[in-house]
Amino acid sequence: MAEGPPIIYLNNAATTWPKPPEVLEAVRQSLALPVFGSGRTTGSQGEDYITLAREALSALFVADPPEHVVFTQNATDSLNLLIQGSLAGCEAGCRVLTTALDHNSVLRPLHELERQGRIRLTVLPFEENGTVSPESVEAAITPDTRLMVTAHGSNVLGSVQDISRIGEVLHDHGVFFIADGAQTAGHIPINLRALPVDAYVFTGHKGLFGIPGTGGFYLRDPESVAPVRYGGTGTDSFSLFQPREMPERFESGTHNYPGLAALAAGANYVASIGVKAVAEKAERQTAFLIRELKKEPNVTVYNESPSLPIVSFNIRGMENDDVGFILARAYGVIARTGLHCAPLVHRAIDGGSGSVRLSLSWFTTDEECRLTARAVKEIARNADSSVDSP
Amino acid sequence: MRILRSIRHKSCADGSFMKEFLLDAPVPEGFFAYLGNFGHVEALPNLGEGFYKFEKPDWFSIKGFAGDTTVEVRFKKEVMDLTVDFLYLLFSSYREGAIDLSVLKQREQAIRRRVREHLYGRG
Repeated sequence: MAEGPPIIYLNNAATTWPKPPEVLEAVRQSLALPVFGSGRTTGSQGEDYITLAREALSALFVADPPEHVVFTQNATDSLNLLIQGSLAGCEAGCRVLTTALDHNSVLRPLHELERQGRIRLTVLPFEENGTVSPESVEAAITPDTRLMVTAHGSNVLGSVQDISRIGEVLHDHGVFFIADGAQTAGHIPINLRALPVDAYVFTGHKGLFGIPGTGGFYLRDPESVAPVRYGGTGTDSFSLFQPREMPERFESGTHNYPGLAALAAGANYVASIGVKAVAEKAERQTAFLIRELKKEPNVTVYNESPSLPIVSFNIRGMENDDVGFILARAYGVIARTGLHCAPLVHRAIDGGSGSVRLSLSWFTTDEECRLTARAVKEIARNADSSVDSP
Repeated sequence: MRILRSIRHKSCADGSFMKEFLLDAPVPEGFFAYLGNFGHVEALPNLGEGFYKFEKPDWFSIKGFAGDTTVEVRFKKEVMDLTVDFLYLLFSSYREGAIDLSVLKQREQAIRRRVREHLYGRG
């Protein structure tokens, strides 16, 4: 096995690969000329990648105005900023809701606040279909509930929350709502003009085809979140306090220009295909994979009807880590194994031992799905023939 | 067989510490049979050139494919300092044909006592 098989990359829920040629070209171009940023240089010949990226995302998410799209390092950074900022006036302690579906990017900041005695935390369980019902959200709301943060799409089960109904319930009770769209941005149509969320978080390097190191959020009402970072913005520089205007209220320091150039190109690429077309192709390929995997009695698929291109499974009698190892080394299939930074999901579905996750992107081919299904089935059949070596 | 270098590592969800080792030669199938003298070996011989997994509870596990030049090792983190040298010894002592295991067994015995004391106390 000196030379491995060609790569079939199915770890797109972590980071998409490959990137569209337009994204690679945007990064190259952004570094070919000096950085242009209004207020930070007298140069004028460069592209304003920050504005381009803001406009591209504003259009993709139907989120007005573009200045309410704020850039950060990634989704985790966005969530920390929004959680801290939205709880700024909550010194006496208040209740925060989240779900067992959530990623450590939500769970860890909230558990840390709980440990500090700043919040009381309620973690809602999910139902068999991988969603939390609006009814259970409503039942969990108490007079002191101030905030709910939840994943829009599960990175383990591929289920998508009904954030429209959940948002309505929360707003009826005056609860601030942050939806973590790390797994949904670029994968399914998002219309923030219609969705009752107060903040929607995205990352650049997954479904939006940007490069690592970019992310952000859309914030409906800037005054609802206090800035928790302060610094130079290139504007209103006589003032020794953070500007109140958007997006400077939340963006300090030099931007990641190559990253934002890539993000603009990635978002425009997705828009040029159409998110609906992306979702339809993903649905067809995901359904094929699940149908094939289910043919093996040894294989357990944890959500047989995901709304995102994510398939989590285990093979009876084998550790998920071994399955991933074999898939990679013997078949060139790059998956992800373990807990996927979502420990509470795994506690519920597999006793906390983790699973193998296959996650697709627009660039995944039908042939790759076919080869992957064949590989998993072959491993599953051989799992029965495991022998103790002499 | 020699370990040339550790090419990446991470902490795993189960609390173990994983390292991937690059070897100076492809792993022969016989190597895993040899490891069976020191622990439990499971094999899926029909996958690739044969997938093997060696388990030495409380010490480490080794997995890999016959014919590959890398193996993945998971150490029990708490006693890794005590066991890592023995892992290197296992690789460097292997050769095709009959192997005198007596030195390795003595070494294993000595380390086993220290591992047990470290994990479970002297009692």
